[in-house]
Amino acid sequence: MAEPLISVRNLNKSFPGVHALKDVHFDLYPGEVHTLVGENGAGKSTLMKVLAGVYQKDSGEILINGKPVEIPNPRAAQRLGISIIHQELNLMNHLTAAQNIFIGREPKKYLGLFLDEKQLNSKTQDLFGLLKMDIDPRVKIGELTIAKQQMTEIVKALSYNAKVLIMDEPTAALNEIEIEELFGIIRHLRSQGVGIIYISHRMDELFRISDRITVMRDGQYIDTLKVSDTNLDHVISLMVGRKIYESAPQIDLAVNRPVVLKVNGLNQGKTLKNVSFEARKGEILGFAGLMGAGRTETARAVFGADPIDSGEILVNGNKVTIRHPSDAVRHGIGYLSEDRKRYGLAVGMDIETNIALASMQSFTGFGGFINIKATRKAGTDMIQKLSIRTPSLSQKAKYLSGGNQQKVVVAKWLIRNCDILFFDEPTRGIDVGAKQEIYKLLNELAEAGKTVIMISSELPEILRMSHRIVVMCEGRVTGELLASEATQEKIMKLATQRESMVKTAQERNQYA
Amino acid sequence: MPEKIIADKAAKDSFSSSSAKQKILAFSSLIILLIVFSFASPNFFQSNNLIAIMLATAVNGVLAIGVTFIIITGGIDLSVGTMMTFTAVMAAQFVANWHMPVMVGVLVAIMTGMVCGFLSGVMVAKLKIPPFIATLGMMMLTKGLSLIIAQSKPIYFTESPTFALIAMGSIFSFIESFKIPNAVLIFFALAIVASIILNKTVFGRYTFAIGSNEEAVRLSGVNTDRWKIGVYAFSGAICGIAGIIIASRLNSAQPALGPGYELDAIAAVVIGGTSLSGGEGTILGTVIGAFIMSVLTNGLRILSVPQEWQIVVTGVIIIFAVYVDMLRRKRSK
Amino acid sequence: MTVLIVAMMLVAVTTVAVAQTVYIPLISKGFQHQFWQAVKEGAMQAAKDYKVTITFEGPESEAMVDKQIDMLSAALAKKPAALGFAALDSKAAIPYLKQAQAAKIPVIAFDSGVDSDIPLTTCATDNIAAAALAADMMAKLIGGEGEVAVIVHDQTSRTGIDRRDGFVNRIKEKYPKIKIVSVQYGGGDHLKSTDLAKAIIQANPNLKGFFGANEGSAIGVLNAVKEMGKIGKITVIGYDSGAQQIAAIRSGEMAGAITQNPVGIGYKTVESAVKALKGEKLPKFTDTGFYFYDKSNIDDPKIKAVLYQ
Repeated sequence: MAEPLISVRNLNKSFPGVHALKDVHFDLYPGEVHTLVGENGAGKSTLMKVLAGVYQKDSGEILINGKPVEIPNPRAAQRLGISIIHQELNLMNHLTAAQNIFIGREPKKYLGLFLDEKQLNSKTQDLFGLLKMDIDPRVKIGELTIAKQQMTEIVKALSYNAKVLIMDEPTAALNEIEIEELFGIIRHLRSQGVGIIYISHRMDELFRISDRITVMRDGQYIDTLKVSDTNLDHVISLMVGRKIYESAPQIDLAVNRPVVLKVNGLNQGKTLKNVSFEARKGEILGFAGLMGAGRTETARAVFGADPIDSGEILVNGNKVTIRHPSDAVRHGIGYLSEDRKRYGLAVGMDIETNIALASMQSFTGFGGFINIKATRKAGTDMIQKLSIRTPSLSQKAKYLSGGNQQKVVVAKWLIRNCDILFFDEPTRGIDVGAKQEIYKLLNELAEAGKTVIMISSELPEILRMSHRIVVMCEGRVTGELLASEATQEKIMKLATQRESMVKTAQERNQYA
Repeated sequence: MPEKIIADKAAKDSFSSSSAKQKILAFSSLIILLIVFSFASPNFFQSNNLIAIMLATAVNGVLAIGVTFIIITGGIDLSVGTMMTFTAVMAAQFVANWHMPVMVGVLVAIMTGMVCGFLSGVMVAKLKIPPFIATLGMMMLTKGLSLIIAQSKPIYFTESPTFALIAMGSIFSFIESFKIPNAVLIFFALAIVASIILNKTVFGRYTFAIGSNEEAVRLSGVNTDRWKIGVYAFSGAICGIAGIIIASRLNSAQPALGPGYELDAIAAVVIGGTSLSGGEGTILGTVIGAFIMSVLTNGLRILSVPQEWQIVVTGVIIIFAVYVDMLRRKRSK
Repeated sequence: MTVLIVAMMLVAVTTVAVAQTVYIPLISKGFQHQFWQAVKEGAMQAAKDYKVTITFEGPESEAMVDKQIDMLSAALAKKPAALGFAALDSKAAIPYLKQAQAAKIPVIAFDSGVDSDIPLTTCATDNIAAAALAADMMAKLIGGEGEVAVIVHDQTSRTGIDRRDGFVNRIKEKYPKIKIVSVQYGGGDHLKSTDLAKAIIQANPNLKGFFGANEGSAIGVLNAVKEMGKIGKITVIGYDSGAQQIAAIRSGEMAGAITQNPVGIGYKTVESAVKALKGEKLPKFTDTGFYFYDKSNIDDPKIKAVLYQ
């Protein structure tokens, strides 16, 4: 049996108030894809950051090729051949792709005083070519799509001649085509003997790409399984202790449910073209499509976050003018954005405040004072209802795990008693257990007569939860499907139905 | 395959022409001002007035060049004005009071600036004090030290006549009608060197990177603290150069001078298109920004616009210039 | 579009201003302070009387020597008929004044003037005589003997040096029984002067009189005397006016002050320039006058005219 690339024994790491890693074990062999799974707060990211030198362990051993090592900082990890691609991309938006990749090791000329841009760009071009990526090294990173940014990060990690590649939620922002490309790269690396640690919540993907799966729960090591020896339900039960799989109950669509929201002919520059749809009371309307299809833009437009060029919005049959989110909220429309850290939360403030944020008026008494008792009760109720994991109400939002942060955002809008709720990628970055809770919540909302419009890039999720599905492609609505007739293939077909029939060489390659 | 090559070339062409277009547009506010004032008064476009404008820009321009680096890293420096004065006072102490050679004075000024900048950098990078506060403290420190060392009165360079030549002499004195003072030449030379450093060296690259996403740079294994300190020290050294220029121009070190100059420097940087949030900026923009301010001031004076109104007009034009620049950048995206 | 309109307006303004009138720019040491605004008023009055055009400008703070030089340079570029100037730092201005001289532009100095032969006259207060008057009044009020102290704004400008010397020398010559225990420099800053004055009072418990040689210094002395509880025990004499000094003199907290004639300074400067252009010979020094004022004469029309708030 070959020697493991990495061996972790009895690793412990604590933060103020939280024992994040408790006596954790972990092994990685060369040429294997080893996936780490666990609910949010299970300790996966923390373990990886210790290996990458971002955090320092409190106790325990780390062995690289059998020899014990210390990893005091990121540079040390790099030297040991460990590269990490973080969930939040670590890129400098104002610099070009090439400059980002070679930051800290730029090729120089003229006595090492000046940068050799030409060399920098050509070396980068070579790297991109090796992995068949179509990215111009001279384009500023901030101008690339998230998918391309991520590919740049991967190239950067690989350029350190990594023997171990850690990927934290790499597919979160990618569409199906891009995910397949990524897997191709991973398989290629695996064949070269590179060891890959893969962290993800997307169970179906894990089973496609992994060799082994390690389950963690609450900072502890639970078990390691060979993929061939297990199945989805078993893994989830190890992670969570439950086997519930929520799905949308069949509602009688034949009954004339009133149309609560009707959007006609929404146009916005080049992003939205004549978008029309309707949502009915008590239904979950899924919005499917590839990245850049215009779903988020549609939601933001209806919500008043972005201006539109033309189009009308009718709420309960009445035409309304929405120029600002406050108008939308007044009409009972709420919006959970996909980037919760930037748009959904005040990360520096505590949970109680965040939950009350959209409904401050209802918590404000005479003279503008905030009714603390009321906010506290509301906050406590929500924490219970949504199982938000936090030591207290006054914990600052930024210290919560991604999934729990999302729950806080949901809580905020639930308090506001909106009737029409746009959920933009509601379960992104959330562990399986929390996902179930959110699905349950969505169903409860629909049953209570609210209208849920769910934007999601996870097809299984859309298929499972929606009563009806609207599909968009490049700013247009390309089709509508009832839950009963929808399949992944049909959705994908509509999602890729582009306006022009002339396909570019790029597309031809993708479908080759 | 051929499509890819064509696409590449198209991208390259639009890339270079749009950046050239941007450079011309940046000039446009300045050119418009020059044209308007030239038509408004025959006294404006005279060689001695143009030289006066350049001379009036030199000190602010030099300070602004240093501050550009700091602002690109996402920081700010409120101490550049008083730091400049402090370096001038130190130079005067050595040259005028202790009778050292002029070169020693120049070196002292630059070293003093570098040390002060270094201290600011340490406060910002190691002690994690926000740049606004750290440099505010440095401003008061250098302001006080200037007054203490100079005993609250100006120190004159009467016994070192060569000192005045640093700024006011002219290498080009053989061209009679176009005697450009050295101060202006130093300013331009510094602008060129600074631009090269900013765009072609590791130091400049890290300046942008740190301003764009400091954490990402740190996680890539770069010692960001050290480089940040370097940026502040570098800017401090440039304050020293400004100190020499102003001391040479006035043939004295004026210890009470300085407060207020930092705002002019920062204004020049911002007008020139550098964003206060960091990650982008150009030296050329800063130079243009500095010139826009001094052309405007001079033009209004030549037109005998009452001083109260000069201030109002300047404020309005600054807002206008920055707004036009924001639109230009939004459109070019 | 807006740029064109602004441009048109500027052209219109200039054409009107420059139309065939004699143009005399005045570059002053400051601009915002009420004293300089009073000087400006006088200058504008003279401009009306003599039918000339003037501009009045000065840097935002009296430390901005280089900005004043920039203003001087721009003024000369307009090829004026004559020039009025109050130097912040004479040495820095010399090259430009030489330029003016070479271009046959008469230079009239005002207020602290310029340390040079180039100006044809200096229109200012005879600060030495004025401070001597303050010394006389101080001696009278404290009975010819005792300890006094002085706060001056600086020791480098003409006004600073003259007022200090005028007071100190007069005391030395004529009042041997009066001892000057301390002369300090507060930069004309109220707070700094207050702190300095307090320290002096603390160190000299028998102090009988205190002279502040400009408005800021005088206010500082007044504050210090008040805060140390010595109102009535120390005779305070100030300089110039301003709302605070005027109020203090009316209430008796301050014994009195020397006022310059800032309006007169402005007026005489423009008048001298006009005279010079006519070819008249001017005296080296044009005294613009000073007065001692206290509670009894503060409302005299003559005094009132030269006080500023």
